[in-house]
Amino acid sequence: MIFRPFLSLRKAGVLGMNRRNTQYIMGYNRRSSFPLVDDKLLTKRLALKHGIPTPSLYHVVSHHGDIAGFERALADRQEFVLKPARGGGGSGIILITDRRNGKFVTQSGKMISKEEIHYHISDILSGIYSLEGLEDRAVIESLIHPDQVFGKVTYEGVPDVRIIAYRGVPAMAMVRLPTRQSDGKANLHRGAVGVGIDIGRGKTMNGVRRSGAITHHPDTRESLRDIAVPFWEKMLFMAAQSTDMTGLGYLGVDLVIDKNEGPLLLELNARPGLQIQVANRKGLLGRLEMIDSAPKEIFVSSGKRVSWAVQNFTEPGEAAPEIAREKVEEDMATGNRMHVTSIPAEIVNRDISYGPSSDGV
Amino acid sequence: MKRPALWLAVAFFLVSFSLIGYRIIRLGYPLFPTFPAKAWGLTMEIFFEPSETNGKEMEIRAGLPQSRPGQSVIEQKDLSGSLQFNILPEGLNQIGVWSGDPEKGKTISYRATVLLNPKRVAKPKPPGPESFPAIIAEKSEQILARRLIERYASLKAHEKLKAIATTAKGIWGEPTPNDNDLKQWSAIQRKYGGEKALVILLRMAGFPVRKGQGFVLAERIATQPDRWISVWTGKKWEHLPPETGSLYPESVRLLPLMVGNGPLVSISGGKLQEVRWSLNKETLSQWRSHFERIYRSGRFLDRWSLFTIPNQFQEIFRILLLVPLGVLMISVLRNIVGFPTFGIFMPVLVALAFRSTGLGYGLGIFGGVVLIGYLLRRGIDRLRLLLVPRLSFLITFVILAFTIFALIGSKFGVREFMAIGLLPFVILSMTIERFFILIEESGAFQALRTAAGSAAVAAITYKIIQIDPLQLTFFVYPELLFAVMGLLLLLGNYSGYRLSEILRFKVLRVKS
Repeated sequence: MIFRPFLSLRKAGVLGMNRRNTQYIMGYNRRSSFPLVDDKLLTKRLALKHGIPTPSLYHVVSHHGDIAGFERALADRQEFVLKPARGGGGSGIILITDRRNGKFVTQSGKMISKEEIHYHISDILSGIYSLEGLEDRAVIESLIHPDQVFGKVTYEGVPDVRIIAYRGVPAMAMVRLPTRQSDGKANLHRGAVGVGIDIGRGKTMNGVRRSGAITHHPDTRESLRDIAVPFWEKMLFMAAQSTDMTGLGYLGVDLVIDKNEGPLLLELNARPGLQIQVANRKGLLGRLEMIDSAPKEIFVSSGKRVSWAVQNFTEPGEAAPEIAREKVEEDMATGNRMHVTSIPAEIVNRDISYGPSSDGV
Repeated sequence: MKRPALWLAVAFFLVSFSLIGYRIIRLGYPLFPTFPAKAWGLTMEIFFEPSETNGKEMEIRAGLPQSRPGQSVIEQKDLSGSLQFNILPEGLNQIGVWSGDPEKGKTISYRATVLLNPKRVAKPKPPGPESFPAIIAEKSEQILARRLIERYASLKAHEKLKAIATTAKGIWGEPTPNDNDLKQWSAIQRKYGGEKALVILLRMAGFPVRKGQGFVLAERIATQPDRWISVWTGKKWEHLPPETGSLYPESVRLLPLMVGNGPLVSISGGKLQEVRWSLNKETLSQWRSHFERIYRSGRFLDRWSLFTIPNQFQEIFRILLLVPLGVLMISVLRNIVGFPTFGIFMPVLVALAFRSTGLGYGLGIFGGVVLIGYLLRRGIDRLRLLLVPRLSFLITFVILAFTIFALIGSKFGVREFMAIGLLPFVILSMTIERFFILIEESGAFQALRTAAGSAAVAAITYKIIQIDPLQLTFFVYPELLFAVMGLLLLLGNYSGYRLSEILRFKVLRVKS
């Protein structure tokens, strides 16, 4: 039968592109909320308001005339990240790890001059890295020092954790590990490795690279399985809260784990990809339908949603852990305090407005 | 499926099909407007040299096809326009007369579309006085001819004709005429030529006979017309080529251009260099034959038909109406099959552009421009140009590439290279930019996959919009656009898997 393959995908609860677009993105993500996630500065401001930790914001350059002033704003900070506010796919990001003799040292060890940095900021402002080619802002924020939990299975770069939150319930998760081929970037389509994370236990499972299943990192040859992700419950909370703060019902939440500051919200995605299903060897649609049939009372708070997810999305054969809710909420509270103080108020509260975005042909 | 979308789609289908139904039932439109009628296109090109001594007046006369039972000339045009063109009936013939001052050109080209109607049985026209030409042979030769055909006297007309025809090959049947008679007949054949000798025999046997010139219908280019002898057997005309000794079989269709003895093409005040006829089959649909009626009709939907707008705008609409068909294809190929493409509508515009270049040349030119454009884009990447000047730079490059192609095309006579002006240059420039970004961000593999997907979608779309009957159906029934809108509503609600996802999520499939 021709329908056999279709039926077997349906049986496996696989979410296809068409259903994702019509039923979930169009059904749960209001168009007017998209700018909240497309612009990293807006996301950051929102996260701050809701007590979700993000990398500390040092400075924002909005106009070509302000470029020269950016060193003053840096003061004596030796390391920072320079990125476009509306960039997509990790393009236009420069990581600076040191400053020597008035020059900047990038993560890969290259020395770049002050003029080159200025040039790069100018490019960002002109919208070279923003997908629609609209004018953009350059964001300068703290450099992330990745927790060493994934150190053995990462080739350069910063691994990040993607959690799909549906109606505020963490539905599926994976960690994306940079490889030599992906050039230190955590993008799956560049060849990074995706490893599913058991929502209940917070442990890694199967790996996928391109569309082939793998068990070991291609560069470091270390096993990808059974790595316990630290701060896991907190990360689930951050994902659940991201839905509350954006109002987006179908959301991809990207987090990084800093060895000093713990999990930080890096960015949000209103159109998260479907490859996470392959990394988990599991269909997302099945999970989403389970969430739809969950008892109504779990949706009243992020805590209830997370504990429901932990109970229901533990891999078969593993015991679902009890989560210490008080501890997590305490974590959230401290993170909140820490970051409110670290961002200049005038930057956070400045009105950020853009013209209407246009869809390309 | 969401209810409102479904109902809206059903409403669109209803509007579409009820309008079509009204046209078919009440206005008598063809049920299958695309059912191809057998039509032939005849092109005649006459190359001539005006003589300098004869002043400036010159006249060229040529036999043209005419409407007869079972055959109608639905369109004829003088394409050259250099001389004055008139069509004069002359006896049984239609003669095209070109006259005037030949200064403007040394070529005449003429085109006719001839519709063959297989349904209508041609009721033959009995012979007139022209079919009883005076017998040119001398008395003694006539007596010999009569003696030779006496043997066939008892045969019926058709059989008799067949028997006489074979004598052209020297086959006389039993009993063989005596050697002396045969020798004398050979002398007559040499004297008058085979064709005339045969006519003498036929005339002596009492058949009305006339000569014909024109073409046996087959796709070809010819510099000489076919010649045949037409013989009236009392019920119908039979035609035979003079040399083969047999009649044309029933299946052969003739396109006569001239009946009688005169030359098919003649000139005064100049010299003919060459005459070239080309015949090609045309897919015409029956709407052409409805055209006249629609044009004169007072009915509402007839008045509001696309046929009533001037010709040059009809052409535009014929192309315009293909766009919905193209975007429907894109929707299917992207959302149901899952082809990756650059941009959403780029392949439709490219497919439309292929109409003037053809598929092979189109893909080649397209690929070439994108490839060179990509290298250029790589080159200027280091210069860190701002977005708008950068895209403008690429557009200028694309136009430059087109110009160079056109010049090369004109140098080497490749028409397709010059027809690329219609390739959508903005889309092409955006494709170069997107191709570059995709290679940078997702690697060459992904970019080539997308490029292959785009090319495949453009090619498939091109193939579909090139289906003539489909094109004509949309032109005759523009209300089909409602049906397309209905289909698009349904497609927009398709939330099932794409074919490509069967592969993508192979590892997830549940074995059942």
